[in-house]
Amino acid sequence: MSGFLTVTVLLAAPLLLAAAGELLLERAGSIQIGVEGTMLLGAFTAFAASQRGASPHGALLAAASTGLLAGGAFALFAVAGRADAVLVGTAWNLVGAGATGFGYSLLAGATGSVLEIATLPPVLFGLPAAVLVSFVAPVALELFLTRTRPGLAVAAAGENPLALEALGGSVVFVRTAASLVAGAFAGAGGAVLVLTVSPTFVEGVTAGRGFLALALVVFARWKPLRLVPGALLIGGATALAYRLQAGGATRIPYSVFLALPGLLALAALAAGRGRGGAPKALGTPAP
Amino acid sequence: MRTPPRVLASLVAAGTAVASLALLALVAGASPLDALRSLAAGSLGSRAALGETLVRSTGLVLTAMAGCLALKAGVLNIGLEGQFLAGAAAAAAAGAALPAAPLPTRFLVLAAAAAAGALWVVPAALLAEKREVPEVLSTILLNLVAATAVSGLVRGALRDPAGDYPQSRPLPDAVRLGPLLAGSRATAAFLFAFAAAAGLAILLAATPLGLKLRAIGLSPKAARAIGLPRARLRLLAFAASGALAGLAGGLEVLAVTGRLYDPFSAGVGYSGLAAALLGQAQPVPSAAAALVLAALGAGSSAMQRDTGVPAALASLVPGVVVLTVLAARARAARSAP
Repeated sequence: MSGFLTVTVLLAAPLLLAAAGELLLERAGSIQIGVEGTMLLGAFTAFAASQRGASPHGALLAAASTGLLAGGAFALFAVAGRADAVLVGTAWNLVGAGATGFGYSLLAGATGSVLEIATLPPVLFGLPAAVLVSFVAPVALELFLTRTRPGLAVAAAGENPLALEALGGSVVFVRTAASLVAGAFAGAGGAVLVLTVSPTFVEGVTAGRGFLALALVVFARWKPLRLVPGALLIGGATALAYRLQAGGATRIPYSVFLALPGLLALAALAAGRGRGGAPKALGTPAP
Repeated sequence: MRTPPRVLASLVAAGTAVASLALLALVAGASPLDALRSLAAGSLGSRAALGETLVRSTGLVLTAMAGCLALKAGVLNIGLEGQFLAGAAAAAAAGAALPAAPLPTRFLVLAAAAAAGALWVVPAALLAEKREVPEVLSTILLNLVAATAVSGLVRGALRDPAGDYPQSRPLPDAVRLGPLLAGSRATAAFLFAFAAAAGLAILLAATPLGLKLRAIGLSPKAARAIGLPRARLRLLAFAASGALAGLAGGLEVLAVTGRLYDPFSAGVGYSGLAAALLGQAQPVPSAAAALVLAALGAGSSAMQRDTGVPAALASLVPGVVVLTVLAARARAARSAP
């Protein structure tokens, strides 16, 4: 695969992972706008674990575990605790940025030197297994949501929570489970970023990718398979921006490409019927 | 006698803040007392330190007011960050293009900033009204677009051809706000922010318009039943909230940076929203919370220098405190009859 395509796919993978998890959570009726915070925590965990001698796959696993804990914390406050999910997510972004900045200062000190870590080994077409898996995730999610009983319970929690409760299901249980998975996916997404294209940690290394993941879910109108073209589009635009920047083409404001995801997602919201395709109970507390 | 909930919430917030500060200092291997002392000295201990706190408070107080106004009217404006950036970009563009006549240009720069902030939220207001699109989603997307627009503007249309870095042309010195007192960076901008807080407090508490805004926030159904124009009032709340956040961005350019660069904001809009949450969407307590966040930000660099405790706790502590307060409030709401 040519360098450009490889970079595109590598850049799409963290977005796909984070967006797939977020899509699951939003289909269950909750919303975590603190994806950016969880991705940062995952990226930092992967970096810190690598620094302590973990293998790249060990680092990825550690990051997913941190994400799982983050998902648990979110569920504790916003699902079981019934605090406003959007406000919890806003605070979570502060926590993620603050905690990783704090940890990085302690770990790296004021040296200012860039500490490189080992990257995930390629297995196929120059791509690591975790990147290939992240492209399978939307397919698995689609099958889960449409073909399995727990998947239907997720849809019910997002569309009609009272009906789910009436049938003996628990909205809190479903949303908590979804939050744990979403957290693990976002943590893994952050880790894949620092374990592939930018093998180090700097403060704010995710550079808004958590928000792009939120945009991607809207752009995909809450349908898992539609995440793939969206993520490739953003990955391609970012790869092109890198290339233009490296080529010294400073006359073109390359960042204009990066405005596309936000604009496309807004257009998707404006064009969609019935709340742009959003789950009916999105953002409402559990009964 | 039961403790009033608002007092209880303040106690919970203060307790969590001090406890997490002390814990983080211990984690960093420093004495909590030394860290607190250094934090206080770096934010209030000298004229320069106090000036730094006031400089930081301007944007935080104004975005907190934008958050209060929106929350009171039942509008979830998560896009304060984007509106702040829109205001800053408009101010930088207008300030560099207009003649160096201090008063009229300052006025126009701030008017442009407020208008840009208000305009930046209009798509979200319209999508919410016409399509029932949750404003949370649209305002976050508008934040993304604003951040990339700033990034593009400083490399394209607004780029200063004289500079090596991608940044906009500076505002003329005659237009920029100067320090109020020697030995401090603080300009009159913070007075403006606190005046806005007082004005908003009066508007919400003591005017018919304030009552109407609070009514649509408290009970949309009751507001409709008594014939309030809900759609128009919501649009007004959106736009006024955006204008306040835009004004914050404009004042940042006029009083602090003098130009636009990338990245321009380190999350002022999100921190301002956190202050509004801590202040329970009441203007005066929220302005006080914003002032505390500003002091934390100003003091944290001195603390890192003196004690080695990383300055990043300036965003970690508010995040933890907001989470705790949200949880305590949700719990109180559920146990209430």
